[in-house]
Amino acid sequence: MFHDIWKTFLGFLQGFGAMSLFFLRLLQYTPAVLVTRFRLVFYQVYNAGALSIVIIMVCGLFVGGVLGLQAYSNLERFNAEDTTGIFAGFALIKEIGPVITALLFAGRAGTALASEIGLMKATDQLSAMEMMAVDPLRYVAVPRFLGGVISVPLLTAIFTTIGLLGSHLVAVELLGVDVGAYWQQLQNALDMEDVMEGIYKSITFGIIASLLAVWEGYNSVPTAEGVGRATTRTVVITAIAVLIFDFMITAWIL
Amino acid sequence: MTLSDTLIELRDVDFSRGDRPIFRDLNLTIRSGEVTAIMGPSGTGKTTLLQLITRQLSPDSGQVFVAGDDIARYGISELYRMRQRMGMLFQNGALLTDMSVFENVAFPLREHTKLGERLIRNVVLLKLQAVGLRGAAGLMPSELSGGMARRVALARAIVMDPALLIYDEPFVGLDPISMGVIAKLIRQLNDALGITSIVVSHDVKEIGEVADYSYVIADGKVAASGRPAQLRNEPSELVRQFMLGLADGPVAFHYDAPDIEEQFIGSKPD
Repeated sequence: MFHDIWKTFLGFLQGFGAMSLFFLRLLQYTPAVLVTRFRLVFYQVYNAGALSIVIIMVCGLFVGGVLGLQAYSNLERFNAEDTTGIFAGFALIKEIGPVITALLFAGRAGTALASEIGLMKATDQLSAMEMMAVDPLRYVAVPRFLGGVISVPLLTAIFTTIGLLGSHLVAVELLGVDVGAYWQQLQNALDMEDVMEGIYKSITFGIIASLLAVWEGYNSVPTAEGVGRATTRTVVITAIAVLIFDFMITAWIL
Repeated sequence: MTLSDTLIELRDVDFSRGDRPIFRDLNLTIRSGEVTAIMGPSGTGKTTLLQLITRQLSPDSGQVFVAGDDIARYGISELYRMRQRMGMLFQNGALLTDMSVFENVAFPLREHTKLGERLIRNVVLLKLQAVGLRGAAGLMPSELSGGMARRVALARAIVMDPALLIYDEPFVGLDPISMGVIAKLIRQLNDALGITSIVVSHDVKEIGEVADYSYVIADGKVAASGRPAQLRNEPSELVRQFMLGLADGPVAFHYDAPDIEEQFIGSKPD
């Protein structure tokens, strides 16, 4: 039993070490890829980012709406419904915006990246590139990684903005909170530090979600089952990692 | 054989996958300008052998020489330079699925040369013409049949004018017409371009018609080698079984299993 736990722990350390080296290699190639293959990066921003906008906007609208609803119904008891904007805004900008965007990104784009790279591996496309003296890490992995890293903060900004709009619709338009109070209270309470917290988180989550998607695809077992497993692992591990890092960043900043 | 005749040499190569040994003391040479066939039953490591020659894998011990150089000593840039002189046709073609046929063939040119668009167009169409698929330049890989995909991959493999062409199971899953086309192309390209070809296959009939020299690999070693006519008269039981396609012989029909009576009845009758 103890032996099994030890072996699992060692396996985890080994995997973590290999992924860290993979991450360093991605970073090492990043400047060259940005200069020589910017077209590929740009396409991946479209592929992973632009194609996720609709799902991000729909979810943002409803998450904002539910926050407005919850905030209003609780604050009303203390006659503090004018502060609904603060509640919804802080929750969206500092926590919910970055976290849910990262989780949605992992579900929509991370799975697509992992399965695409996994299938390229299973159908020998990566080996074919190596045989054509083209490094698949530079041609396939780095552009997809960078596409995700650039997309997630942008998607977070869209999610948060639409979320604030959703919260405004519910609190102001449906429940009758004064529009001036809603936005003024939020503006007064919100510091640049709060916004920066959300930005730091979205950048970190972008790196985590993109790295895990590319890593899982690149290291998948080249079979149908292996690619399926890599896709599932991408979502599960990204969700866990994002929530752990969310706690760590919040604890560090506060 | 003089040294200049030899393009590739494997010397005392050992290779294992996990605990399973694939090659033990494998020695083999590939001569320049010839079509050399690597044959053998399934699972004997023929594709692994190609991966050793191209250094997609490294041997546990022994050396692999390409054009006289020990490729284990190559750094990454030298390795990629060597691979630019090689073309490889994968079992399933391995075309890049997000690019058209034209872009697939143009891919190595765009990556490794600074040729203008017009010149790239001409070279790509010429190579597609050589495999009979100039008319398919605008199709996507998903629109091609298995045989067509392999021919496009062949056009891509020769687009950089390599000195060595490697074919991994080029006949698998093809209809007789496509098989004949690929066999004809292997011979034609080898002679017209003055290159060296290695063909891994277990298709004895087709490969016998195009190969100048053949190796039969079994049990991690070279079981037999020679010109196709010599191999047909090879006394070894295993080589005879392989060349004649016999179901049973040294390569057993049955996979290792427990005693049949014991397994079905429960205990062995006295």
